[in-house]
Amino acid sequence: MLEVTNLSKRYPTGRVALRRANFRVEAGELVIVLGSNGSGKSTLLRCIARLIDPSEGEVRVADHDMTRLKGRELRRARTALAMISQHGNLVKRRSVLANVACGALGRIGGWRSRFGMLPAEELEAAHRYLAEVSLQDFWAQRAGTLSGGQAQRCAIARALAQRPRVLLADEPVASLDPEAAEDIMKLLRRLASEDKLAVVCVLHQPELAFRYADRVIGVKDGAIEFDLPAAEAQRLDISSLYTARAA
Amino acid sequence: MKSQAIAAERAVPAEIGADSRKRALKFLLTLAITVALFGIVAQALVVVQVRPQEFITGFHGMADFLRRANPPDFSQLGLMLWPALETIDIALFGTLAGIMMALPLAVLGARNVTPALPLYYVARGIIAYCRSVPDLVWALLFVTAVGLGPFPGGCAVAVHSIGMLGRLFSEVIEDMDMGPVEALTLTGASRLQVFTHAVVPSVAPSLLGIGLYRFDENLRSSLVLGFVGAGGLGFQLLTAMSLFQYRTVSLLLIVTFVLVMGAERISAALRRRVL
Repeated sequence: MLEVTNLSKRYPTGRVALRRANFRVEAGELVIVLGSNGSGKSTLLRCIARLIDPSEGEVRVADHDMTRLKGRELRRARTALAMISQHGNLVKRRSVLANVACGALGRIGGWRSRFGMLPAEELEAAHRYLAEVSLQDFWAQRAGTLSGGQAQRCAIARALAQRPRVLLADEPVASLDPEAAEDIMKLLRRLASEDKLAVVCVLHQPELAFRYADRVIGVKDGAIEFDLPAAEAQRLDISSLYTARAA
Repeated sequence: MKSQAIAAERAVPAEIGADSRKRALKFLLTLAITVALFGIVAQALVVVQVRPQEFITGFHGMADFLRRANPPDFSQLGLMLWPALETIDIALFGTLAGIMMALPLAVLGARNVTPALPLYYVARGIIAYCRSVPDLVWALLFVTAVGLGPFPGGCAVAVHSIGMLGRLFSEVIEDMDMGPVEALTLTGASRLQVFTHAVVPSVAPSLLGIGLYRFDENLRSSLVLGFVGAGGLGFQLLTAMSLFQYRTVSLLLIVTFVLVMGAERISAALRRRVL
């Protein structure tokens, strides 16, 4: 479903943030990426989503090469790939429901959506996506009034409204309390197992990773150190991922 | 141990020396700044030719003016209603036209959403130019261009508003949280969709608040614009002054006070509701 081949990123400053990353994620799989700050985890996700352009390599999402596309074709390919980040990134002034329905914008054409309106059928569907993340009673509230965990669930509902095949999550629980973090991880697990999404999640908590992931990828200095099933990764001494790199 | 203690004792006087030198330097610096500030204020007094004694020698003249201005000539009130409406409408037209023209300029002139950098500089240039020329000067120019009356007043208020609103609007857009913009871009939404669904809802309440505040400012400036022939109460005030009708002048000042206070209250109340 998601295939990353020889993906590299060298910033204009000369710093190499990502070296020849290779991995595949199948539908229904939850892959968790571990690594210290600055190890290149976020760069990896941002390159996959084309928020930054990789210097080399290929990203195939549902058989489209994301790295080669531009303009309208890139937009169309992007609908297969949803991303959530540390903060919900919701439009705080709009209702929860409208925020969720915005996930469908990539599929909606026409003038009405360009003038800020959302079609009734998408708002209808948004109720269902909210129910999936147990926020159905909050649909009328302003998004700005949600708590951190609720906002993150709303962001996931928005990602679902996009009807993606691949879901990227960049430290989705970093600013949440432990209980809300568990909720989000359970939700991601369910989306992979039941809805057959390919989920790639960057985390800072190894214990969460081992409990929820199918596979764990360790990243250090921009390179993939290991890519193992969760049970095998757990036996590894992962503290080496977090030791300071040699000067 | 002992030698260390002695060394520490010896070090103390040197440290005090450095400390007192630093303190002396700081004192001199404070003194220099104080003197400079006094100098600046003093030159302002000289240049402005401040002569407080004239308030005393001119007391008679002022008392005379106040006596002739009282009581206000309320029989003129009916005649002033139309110019008062004109003044309000100059502010209303100027604010609305200003908002309509400032919005697109502000979008082009906000670094985070501008479609192209050259457009950013052009938009910022226009906004800065509209702002740097005072509204009274714009009114003089428009009176020359389209003749006397409220229309040049409205145009002047509009153009000056572009300058003030354009800058504030683009600052609001630049301070916006870019997270939602990034999130919607990733859903595959087009640039225009991202703009109307993420940027517009985020900034609309602040922009409305700024617009209401501008109306209140514009009402005050539209009062003055009449002095250069751009209609409204200002023009009546100028006429009454030059005809020495001081009782009409005092009536006009009362009407002005009511209008300005009313506009301030209403715009403040509306702003509280939108924010």
